[in-house]
Order: sequence, then C-alpha cells, then structure tokens
Amino acid sequence: MTTFPLTKTRPARRAQRTKQRVGTAVSSLLLIAFAALTMLPIYIMIAVSLKTGTAGETNPFGLPLDPQWQNYVNAFVNMHYLQSVANTLIITISTAVLTIFTASMAAWAIVRYTRRWTRTAYQIFVAGLTVPVFVVVTPLYQILQQLHLLDTYPGIVLAYTALTMPFAVFFFSGFLRAVPAELEEAAAVDGCNLFRTYWNIVLPLLRPATATLTIFIILQVWNDLILPLILLSSNDKQTVTLAVYATIGTHTFSTAQLLPTLVLGVIPLFVVFLVLQRYVVAGISVGAGK
Amino acid sequence: MRGRSAFLLILPAGLLFAVFVIYPLIRGIELSFTNAIGPSGGALVGFDNYVKMFQDPTMLRALLNTLVYTVVVVVVQNGVALFIAFWLFKLKRIRNFVRASLLLPAMMAFVAVGYLWSFIYSPLGGPLDLAMDALGLRSLEKIWLGDPQTALFAIAFVYIWMYTGYSATIFLANYLSIDPSQLEAAQLDGARGWKRFRLIDWSLLAPSMTINVTLSVIGSLRVFDLPFIMTRGGPNNATQTISLYIYNSSFTNFQFAYGTTLAVALLLLTVIVGVTQATLLRRREVDL
Repeated sequence: MTTFPLTKTRPARRAQRTKQRVGTAVSSLLLIAFAALTMLPIYIMIAVSLKTGTAGETNPFGLPLDPQWQNYVNAFVNMHYLQSVANTLIITISTAVLTIFTASMAAWAIVRYTRRWTRTAYQIFVAGLTVPVFVVVTPLYQILQQLHLLDTYPGIVLAYTALTMPFAVFFFSGFLRAVPAELEEAAAVDGCNLFRTYWNIVLPLLRPATATLTIFIILQVWNDLILPLILLSSNDKQTVTLAVYATIGTHTFSTAQLLPTLVLGVIPLFVVFLVLQRYVVAGISVGAGK
Repeated sequence: MRGRSAFLLILPAGLLFAVFVIYPLIRGIELSFTNAIGPSGGALVGFDNYVKMFQDPTMLRALLNTLVYTVVVVVVQNGVALFIAFWLFKLKRIRNFVRASLLLPAMMAFVAVGYLWSFIYSPLGGPLDLAMDALGLRSLEKIWLGDPQTALFAIAFVYIWMYTGYSATIFLANYLSIDPSQLEAAQLDGARGWKRFRLIDWSLLAPSMTINVTLSVIGSLRVFDLPFIMTRGGPNNATQTISLYIYNSSFTNFQFAYGTTLAVALLLLTVIVGVTQATLLRRREVDL
C-alpha cells in the first residue's frame, strides 16, 4: 500500500516531538529554579524584615507567619521616610526635566546642523562618558562650595544633570539621526520659528527616547550614594539611599531593624519596575535590538 | 537651521557640561600637582603626588584588586548571561517571567544590596552559613567578608548577582533581533545546540557583546559602593579599590590633592582599558 511508509514514520516523528517537549519542560524548570534562586536573597530580605530579631537569625528562610509590622513603623520613623522620598522625588524630577530639555536641544542642533564645530561639540560630550564620577567629585565639591550651592537641591541637580549630559546627548542624537528632517523642514516652511518647531515637532518626536532616558535618570538618582553623601549634609535634604546608609551606619542593628530599612529603600523602584517593565527592558536593550 | 540658532541650542547643555564636568576635570588635574589639604588651595609640588602614588602599597593593592575584580566580573557575568540568553531564547513561554526575576536585583541600590549581603554572609546567623549547615557543608564555611582569601570574590559575586540579568537582557534583545531564517537555515544544515552557537550565534551576537563588555568593564573599574558598605576595604586592604581609596583620601583624610591624583590615575586607566577593548571588539565585529 502507498500509505505504508507514512505509518512507519508517524510514530517516529511523534516520539521525536515528545522528546523535544520533555526537553523544553526540563530546561524551563531548570531556568525557573535558577530565577527562584536569584530571587532568594530578595525573599529573605522581605521575610526577615517581618520577623523578630531572634527569629530572623535562627530561621531566615521560613515564611513570616507572625508578621511584625512594628518593624516597619520603626524603620519608617528612623529613616524620616516621607521626607526622604519627597527629597528624592524633587531631585529626580528636576534632574530629568533639566536634562531632557538641554540635551534634546543640543542633540537637535548637533544632528541637523552639521559643521565641524558641532561635530567637535558632540565628540566632547561623548568623551564625557568615560569620566568616572570620582575624577570630578573633589573639585566639584570645591566649586559648589564657592558658588554656595553645597548642601542645596540646585547644587546636586546641576551636578547630576551635567554628569548625565554625555549619555543624554549621545542617546538623543542617535535617535534623531534615524528620523528624517522632513517634518521639521515643513514646519519651518510653514513659518514656525525655532522655538515652535522644537516644541511642536522635535519634542513629541523624541517621546520614546525621552521615556527611556527618564527611566535611566530615575534609576541613577535613586540608587546613587556618592553625590548625596558628599554634596548633601543636612538631614532634612537626604535622599532615600542616603537615608538607608545614614540610618544603618549610625546604629548597631538587629535584623528586625536592618531589613525593613532596606525594603523601604528599594520598594519605590521595585514598583516603578513592575509598572514600567516594558520600558525598562526596552531601555536596557537599546542598541542591541531591532 | 542657522549657525546662530544651533549655537543657542547647544549653549545650555554645553555650559552645564563645561562648568560642572570639564572645569572640575581640569581643576582636578591641576589639583593633583599641589599639596592641597581640605578645600583650600595649596602650593605646587610638581609630580610629587604621582611619585608617591607609585610607591604607595595601598594604591598598588587597590589597583591589583580593581583589576582582578574587573576580570572576574566581566568574564563570569557575561558568560553566565550569555548562557541564560541562549537558553531563554528558545523558551518563549517563560521568557518574560525569568527575565523580570533576573532583572529585579539590578533595580536595587548598591547600598541596600551591600547591607543585605553583609547580613547573608554574616558568620553570626547569616542565611548562607545556615543553609550550608543544613546541607552538611559546614567544613567549607568561611568568614566570607573577613577572610582576605574570599572577601574580594564574595563582593564580586554580589555584583554579578546584581547585573547578570541586565547583561542577559541585552544578549536576549540581540537574539530576538536576529532574522529567524538565519538560524533556521543553520538548523537545516545540521548545526544544532552548541555547534550552532559556536558557528552562527557567536558572530551574530557581536553587537551585544560589545555593549555588555563595555558596560561591565566601566562598571567594575569604578567599583565603590559594595566594598564601601560591606568591608570598608578590609580585611587588611583585601578589598581596597581605587575608587574607595580616592574617597578615603579625599573625604576621610581630606587629602584633596592626593585623592585627585588617584582619580586622574583612574581616568587614565579607564581610558586605556576602554580604548584597547573598544578597538579589539570593533575589529572583531568587522572581522566576523
């Protein structure tokens, strides 16, 4: 019969498919186990933060069946949590706004007005990517002191903005280069002045790049210790990360005090990550995808 | 766009960058040739600080530690990340979940991570030792952060824990951007698994390799926060790094001149390593 060869291969093919499916299941399970192991320290952080000091030190792995919410109340008070969150928000938002406007304007000029001096300007900005913050931080401290900007919001915001500038200019320029200039030229023909063209055409065009850059700035400012440690000295201006450092650094701590402080320190960014995950992943993948 | 408009558009960014990055950079280089202590001036002393730096055993130790740390982090982090990305690429269903879990540590501040792992490594009721007790591995336990043999690697491990997911995300994005027909063609030619990876994927992943190696090199050459929080450079300078030593010189001992000298050395090191590695990786991208 003509169907003979088919009936012979069908079970073989089915066997192969089953084998493949088992393989996929096994490697999925292994990878999920690896992910769980990676998250184990985070689980321990949360579990122990809800236990009494002794329970945390004898059994850090178990579920916190008798959650000690009082731990959080204490940490909340010790860290001046609301004040610290508000301070960090002020610094982050100001840095993001200032960086986005100045860097996008510069990138627009660099990309659309190609002369030797704009190319040089671009190269100088980009060279800044290699400068470690420690190289400039000591003189920066002196300069801010001379300008009476030490221990002020404007001082630290200007420092963050300047230090983020290389990446921001680089990033916006790369994005703009991939976009044809037609829209902007049409706007100019229609009689839009420079400012209107920037505001109505260029800024909206840059929106996806702006979203990514904002996430980078949020991550950078929320997680940075060095600049707040050196440039901010008064307690009522400290950022969340500095509050974590200052609270833990000045006390002898039991786990019941240590871990809630850490959880409160990281929770805002965890929330940002869970809500904006897609943008965070897209931001990290810039340059490697598409 | 006219020249004057372009100039006005670049001016705010340029001014900020000039005042708060370029000027401090020049001032820093200038400062490194003085004997300034604290924020006020100081007299010119020529290359004294640089001579001192090359004879300073702490600085030489910090340089060695920083280089060892960088090599360990770059190799392990990118190796593991590449392996995970290769694996995840095939497993569509769990991809997003695994990626998100692995990325979570990178969202934490170094300060929080440093304190968390100090607790985990603690010899007094630390979860790591408790887990090893339970697995019958008590004989392998060390005072992880207190033993000069293990301290630097214990810190490197934490950094790798934080950023492997980040690197894997970049590799995975590169994988997802590859034209599937290229990989299918390779499969049909009989190149599967490891063989396909070696012959095909390795070269197609060159762009993400460049990004990942660059990021991990830059990140680990300037390592500061983790040793600052976890060991303060100890025990016996076993985890002293260049950035940490800069901080201690400038802001603990107020030797501003010496601190910036070390900083200039760090800048030179970063530029040399950066240029070498960029040249190598770019040549590789062209060759492939």
